[in-house]
Amino acid sequence: MRAASYPAFALTAFQSRLVYRNQVWASAFGDLVSIFARIAILTAAFAGAAQVDGITLPEMVTYALLSGPLLYWEYSRVLYDVGDAVRTGDVAVFLLKPLHYPSYLLSTHSGHFAFECVAIVVPVALIVGFTVGLLPPASLFHGLMFFPYWAVSWLILFILACLCGLLAFWLLTAFSLEWFLMAIMSLFSGAIIPLWFLPTPLATLFGYLPFAWISYYPAAVYLGKLDVTATWLHLGIGLFWLTVLSAAVLALWAKARHRLIVQGG
Amino acid sequence: MSRSLAVVPHLVRMYVRTRLEYRGAMLLAWFAQALSYAATYTAIALLLLRFGNLGGWTWSEMALLLSFHLLAYSLGASLSFTQFRDIEEKVRLGTLDAVLIKPVSPWVYLVFSGLNIGYAGHIILAVGLMAWAVTEVAVDWSILTALYFVAGLLSAAMVTAAIMTMIGATALVWVRSKHLFSIFFGFWELARYPLNIFPVPLQILMLTIAPLGFLAFVPVAVTLGRPVPLLGDWAALTSLLAGPLAVTLGALHWRHCIQNYQGAGG
Repeated sequence: MRAASYPAFALTAFQSRLVYRNQVWASAFGDLVSIFARIAILTAAFAGAAQVDGITLPEMVTYALLSGPLLYWEYSRVLYDVGDAVRTGDVAVFLLKPLHYPSYLLSTHSGHFAFECVAIVVPVALIVGFTVGLLPPASLFHGLMFFPYWAVSWLILFILACLCGLLAFWLLTAFSLEWFLMAIMSLFSGAIIPLWFLPTPLATLFGYLPFAWISYYPAAVYLGKLDVTATWLHLGIGLFWLTVLSAAVLALWAKARHRLIVQGG
Repeated sequence: MSRSLAVVPHLVRMYVRTRLEYRGAMLLAWFAQALSYAATYTAIALLLLRFGNLGGWTWSEMALLLSFHLLAYSLGASLSFTQFRDIEEKVRLGTLDAVLIKPVSPWVYLVFSGLNIGYAGHIILAVGLMAWAVTEVAVDWSILTALYFVAGLLSAAMVTAAIMTMIGATALVWVRSKHLFSIFFGFWELARYPLNIFPVPLQILMLTIAPLGFLAFVPVAVTLGRPVPLLGDWAALTSLLAGPLAVTLGALHWRHCIQNYQGAGG
């Protein structure tokens, strides 16, 4: 299938989400409750201190919004799409079509992500911005560099979800894999606690793992916590991880499609 | 009523046997879920390690709160979550009609034919963490305190099961209600932190319309002898009454929705 055809899958996914308006309200409300809760938790943790480890409360509030709804998107949909396709045997249909299944997933879920950005993340960010206040990027350079970091973050999380999803070809369930990925993300990505608040040995270790490029580094770049050299260097390391993980997905897909057994066929 | 109850052990046995057919997947799920909660709790512990306390709560007190939250939720959700999350699909496909014509209470059938033993991983982690926390917190344990703690736990589990029943039952009238679980889990996540750190409007919300403040904070704060915002001296009594009251409202809502059920199609 021509590469130009794949954007159609993204558009279809985007349009399909327009049908379920109640889900949009519920998700936006859930995100709002969650972000205001995180702000309350951080305010309580700071307990009136002007700054902790060189980080101010407004910086942490901005970090909470960036690392939460914006960067830590609903990746479980990828896992369930692959898991359900394997469980129901629908994946066989994709094998018969002239398309590359991982690329199809990438297109579809970029459509879902675009919808979530427009319908949920932007309104939530505006509400938080007007009520609590968000910091602008530390500089024009950091603001511009946030975008490639955001793209790397999205792709790494998508690929990790894909990797776990493809393991369903062997385990025949994606349920446990989603929880394993949640465990990894909770601790290593910086979505709950930024690496600068961790003990130094843990922060150093977690800072080299690919999960840190999902929440921690993009938010840290936006806030100007990395200088120009470190920003370029970490973008390079992020791209390296992205390449390694992409190769792992392609290798796993090559193996998975040769061991597919559809029940009852 | 007695006929409904007599069938319960058979329904549970059948469901457990189906789950045990896939032992490997079941054990892996228990482990994965426990690991995920443990990772989140580790992140909270690391945050407390850096900041010392959260709204005046130390790590051992937070551990008691987190374990109580997880245990009460698991007990209530094992009787309700997957059962009432999936009811929307039954309504849409029309398969709920087959449940309604069975000679047994539809609620009993739905709950016990899907009694979720998948929460074992949650329960093992929660009991383990609670066992450590109760020895660490500064509480003068007596028979009365222990009885209150257990009764508060049961009441909190009842609150969980009742809210989930109400959300699921709403699908009988609205056809779709799964999205309401997103809102539930938003408040559920807040309920694992001390209520006093949140703004007053949110505190009011979590003690009234979305009463998940009773899921862990109120009973644990009473046990620890900590002040409970808005409720004050009434906290102990209200935490014990919250469960039965939620169950009564849940039963009324369930009955109303069953009586107004018309199916998803024409």
